[in-house]
Order: sequence, then structure tokens, then C-alpha cells
Amino acid sequence: MIDLTMHLTTDEIELWAQGLLPAPRAIHLADCSLCRVEADRERKVILELVQLPKFAPSAGFADRVMAQVKVPTPSGDWEQRR
Amino acid sequence: MRRYERPVFSLLYRMVRDRALAEDLAQETFIKVLNGIKSYRPEFKFSSWIFKIANNAAIDHLRRKSIDTLSLDGAPSAETPEQVRATSLQLGDRAESPLDEVESRELGTAIERAIARLRPEYRSCILLRHVEGYSYEEIADTLELPLGTVKTYIHRARNELRGYLEDRRD
Repeated sequence: MIDLTMHLTTDEIELWAQGLLPAPRAIHLADCSLCRVEADRERKVILELVQLPKFAPSAGFADRVMAQVKVPTPSGDWEQRR
Repeated sequence: MRRYERPVFSLLYRMVRDRALAEDLAQETFIKVLNGIKSYRPEFKFSSWIFKIANNAAIDHLRRKSIDTLSLDGAPSAETPEQVRATSLQLGDRAESPLDEVESRELGTAIERAIARLRPEYRSCILLRHVEGYSYEEIADTLELPLGTVKTYIHRARNELRGYLEDRRD
């Protein structure tokens, strides 16, 4: 039996931020101003994090990597790509 | 490789906050991955394996060069105001190259600066969790940390980030 008066844990707040909080706990959140404030603060940080951009390395990065990758030769040896 | 280029480079860039260095570490990561593909164990997610190698490269570098002491707030070991000043990362006190300008544009937002203040191990956990969308279990596997440690790191990291961001808003 879930105690509806129990405050949300950090894991539950993360679930809520993802829209995955089970209904009984969502009921507590709706009624508890302390949990709502805490959850809102946490959601703001999570939102900022998930919206971070992905950066790209400079042009020609893959070619520079592949130039240093060893490839197998027909004799079974490995040689560096040129 | 193209698929992982941006995620791996982004993780490394946020870990070391230096474009050229992040690119070197990303290059080192992919060369290790491609040259060591035979040692890949399929029970792991391929991306986890790559991130593990990338994260190790970053952590090794930070340890080797003690770049983690280049915190915006000074080294964790700094006890006196003089020590704090001496080990603090000074921003904007030198002429900026075009690459520096790119870096300050890319990593100059409040959230990026807050991430930079986190301990490196918190940083990799929080980035894998919220930028890459990894589960706690996947992060534990990738970084070879106990699940409880990963949870603790992520909760502490979020708390610290909240603190930094709320201080900025006040």
C-alpha cells in the first residue's frame, strides 16, 4: 500500500519530469506544495540539460581518424590506412 | 562512426572544455575503437563501449594534467583565498583567438558554465543521463561504477547545478 502522504523522492521527481510518475504519486504531488516547488526546480535543470546542443568536430575529422586505422591485408597482417 | 561523432565529441568537449583537445581525445577514442573492434563484447551496447573509452580518455587526461584543478572556483584542495585565486580558471584575461571565441560562445551559457563546475565524475554521469538519455544501469555499466554511486553522483550533480543556476537568477 502506497503512503500517499510521503513526499516524492528524487527518483520520483525525475519520473515526473519525464511524464512517468504513477498516478497515486501524482495525486500527492498535486496536493503537496512542498513537492511541487521541489519538482519544478528539478524539472528546470533537467530541461536545460536535455536541450543542450550536440557539437560537431571540425571538418575532416572522420578522414583523420580513418587515416590512422589499421586494416587487415590479404596476408592476414594489419596495415595502416593512407 | 558518423553516428557517434557528435555525441562522443560533445561529451569530451564538455569534459575538457577545449575544442582542440576534445578533438584529439575523440580521435584517440575512435582509433582505439576501430583498431580494437575485435575486443568488443556484444553483450554491451556498442555506444556504451565507445563512451566508456571516451570517458576514460577524458578522465585520464584530466588526472594527468590535473585540469580538474582548473575549476572556476579554484582547486578543491585550495584552503586559503590565495590558493583559491591561484587555482581558479580566469576567464577573459587574455587575448582571445578565434577558437577561444567559438569556445566561449559554445560553452559560455549558464548551464554550460555550471556543468564545468562539477567534479569530472559527476559531469560524465549527468551528461550521459540527460544529454545521451542513458539509464542509470547503462551508466553504471559504461563507467564501471556501482549503481548506487551513479544515482548519488547524478542527484548531487543536479543539486549542484540547481544551486549554481539559482544563484545566477538571484
